Amino acid sequence: MSAAAAAALPCRCETLGVSAEAAAILLAFAMRESEAPAVELGSALERLTDALRPLAGGAATDLAACVRALQFHDRLMQQLAVIRNLLTRLADHPLPQMAAFGAQRWEELLASLRERLAEDSHNDLFELLLRTGGVAPGAVAEQAEGTSELF
Amino acid sequence: MARILAVDDSPSMRQLVKLTLSSGGHEVDVAIDGVEALQVAEKQQFDVVITDVNMPNMDGISLVRELRRRSNYRFIPLLMLTTESTAERKQQGKEAGATGWLVKPFDPDRLLSIVSKVLT
Repeated sequence: MSAAAAAALPCRCETLGVSAEAAAILLAFAMRESEAPAVELGSALERLTDALRPLAGGAATDLAACVRALQFHDRLMQQLAVIRNLLTRLADHPLPQMAAFGAQRWEELLASLRERLAEDSHNDLFELLLRTGGVAPGAVAEQAEGTSELF
Repeated sequence: MARILAVDDSPSMRQLVKLTLSSGGHEVDVAIDGVEALQVAEKQQFDVVITDVNMPNMDGISLVRELRRRSNYRFIPLLMLTTESTAERKQQGKEAGATGWLVKPFDPDRLLSIVSKVLT
């Protein structure tokens, strides 16, 4: 490739920035699109519950299962919101993280990512990913979810 | 039957908390964040407030702190319902005046039993 042709190509950093921005927009659309059906499902569940009152036996068990299961949609939305925010920030500041690499740069990138993780659960997940390269389903969540403590 | 205020910025979570508590015979109002919750709580008295932690405008811990400053909410049970579960965040909630800390996703029967426990 000639020097002129190479100069005409967008640099890798710009491509990454544009991709990150596009991914963030797509995520935002997908999240918005799935919110209304989830609310509609909740409303339908509410109407069904009203129609079946008083709930007993199997119906009460099924209602509890629906309430538990639907909460995972909310959890997914929260995780996606964090990813969307990370992508947005990456699109805003792509160069320092991506222009060069090496052990020191890697540490800077990790520190920067850690600062952006808003919730403890996200930090736990991130640390687990770094240690293992993957996360078994429910590996982090199982430790605390559904627990309660009165002060 | 108790009058309960459920505060969460997620519409589906508000629905699920309301559905669960209503099925237990409670009367439930909802608010989308701490600011709206304070407005609602000033207009009417609730027996229990259940709030998420991470919300826009005013988070759950600030809401608890604000409610505890009001004489009519000084001794009302205020429960946090959140995905967060670290000891540090729980301590912040406790110091703000929260009565208890529940980690999402909640089990409907467990939520009802905790509400019943804090009401006695």
